Amino acid sequence: MVNLNSIPTKNNRGYYIAIGLEGSANKLGVGIIKQPVLPTLLEGDNSHKCQSEILANIRDTYVTPPGEGFLPRDTARHHRNWCVRLIKQALKQARLTDPRNDVDVICFTKGPGMGAPLHSVAVVARTCSLLWDVPLVGVNHCIGHIEMGREITGASNPVVLYVSGGNTQVIAYSENRYRIFGETLDVAVGNCLDRFARTLKISNSPSPGYNIEQLAKKCKNKNELVELPYTVKGMDLSMSGILAYIDSLAKDLFKGNKKNKLLFDPKTGEQKVTVEDLCYSLQENLFAMLIEITERAMAHVNSSHVLIVGGVGCNLRLQEMMAQMCHDRANGEVYATDERFCIDNGAMIAQAGLLQFRMGDIIKDLSETVVLQKFRTDEVYVSWRKT
Amino acid sequence: MQMPSAVYTSPSYPLKKFEVDPNDPHYQTTNGRTTGPSDYVLNAGQVDRDKPSGPKMDPVNPDIPTYLSQLRMQLTGLQDDINEFLTKQMEIAKNKRVKVESDEKEKSSQKKNNNNGTNKEEDDDIY
Repeated sequence: MVNLNSIPTKNNRGYYIAIGLEGSANKLGVGIIKQPVLPTLLEGDNSHKCQSEILANIRDTYVTPPGEGFLPRDTARHHRNWCVRLIKQALKQARLTDPRNDVDVICFTKGPGMGAPLHSVAVVARTCSLLWDVPLVGVNHCIGHIEMGREITGASNPVVLYVSGGNTQVIAYSENRYRIFGETLDVAVGNCLDRFARTLKISNSPSPGYNIEQLAKKCKNKNELVELPYTVKGMDLSMSGILAYIDSLAKDLFKGNKKNKLLFDPKTGEQKVTVEDLCYSLQENLFAMLIEITERAMAHVNSSHVLIVGGVGCNLRLQEMMAQMCHDRANGEVYATDERFCIDNGAMIAQAGLLQFRMGDIIKDLSETVVLQKFRTDEVYVSWRKT
Repeated sequence: MQMPSAVYTSPSYPLKKFEVDPNDPHYQTTNGRTTGPSDYVLNAGQVDRDKPSGPKMDPVNPDIPTYLSQLRMQLTGLQDDINEFLTKQMEIAKNKRVKVESDEKEKSSQKKNNNNGTNKEEDDDIY
């Protein structure tokens, strides 16, 4: 039986408040959420209907110059120097004046992610926990995305497509674990888009993937895709070869290499393909691969609902393509969120962490707060859902 | 006010203590020697907007930083000391490894030469 009300709230006030700290990559997020004690959560599988109220969800992104990625040391420095400021802002926005008495639990990202940034945020979480005497919960970043997506959209048991800069997975729930049905064999889809943006030397603000999407929208030649490798391997996919290939095309384009017949007309020397065409073709190709494996997972688990989470999930073209596929299936439906919840944020860590806390899963010793760069989605025992 | 301190031990380095000298200007700043942005990103044109904030002054005694600000400055200095010590240790370990590798290379080439010499002698004996 799943009873999400077994842990008493602070001062028996009838609601829980959780702070979530996220810093597994270049986004630093602090979120504060409030969940009421509901009779519907005494039993059953209602962990997606917690009536979470977002009291604050603040984010600051470490942005690098065009053509550059984010390095662990400098990203960690960004998180170290902004974390306390963001927590203060979030507490103010949530109108919490006494965290010691107001906050039930502090949740932080335990992994997966980049070691140094994860560690910076974990240190802040430990400090706040000791300072305010509030329990800690370590959260798997991927589970944070899934639980936030379920709560926001109300999707009860969807197939999940988790697409971001560090992860690409197709996930379905079974027997207290989020099982990975398919995933990337090399780089993540967001990483593929980001690295192509670096080759194009386009801005990293607000995010390289967003700027690729905007360029793709300007493509005037949408009926003629640039042919790229299509590398679906069973339920998995591979994107490093596609990236290397399109990188070489972009370099030839910039150099004006007229020997490249794909880009230039061999007779007239006229340019046939633009940067916008490359961005559009890359998106279409990668997203088609994602849709294919998602559809196969849906058929396998006999589901008609898909939830898209992760930073790439706010790409409108991906949502459109997924909706088209779902439309062709009986009663198919796509659930997606906007950039506030798709992109890494603190509220999602608070959401998943609070579910863990309400099932009694808290850290008993600081030695359990060591962060993990590798922490697979299916390693987490999902006690808050029915078998 | 109790000063923060740190201790480092390892099989190759029995004990190293790091202590704060509150009068040293090194422990009176929030901008550390080793905690700035990396040269790589600065060379790439990064504008540093992630600097730590300066110390907050006590509202009653405006010339004295607050307790937490003092602690923050002392920890910045202490972190510099630790970073510099560990970097030095890494350099020593790297140099040791290079020396061991070059010694091994030298030994193996000497052995090879000796072997070649022996064979020659044996050959000489035969003929």
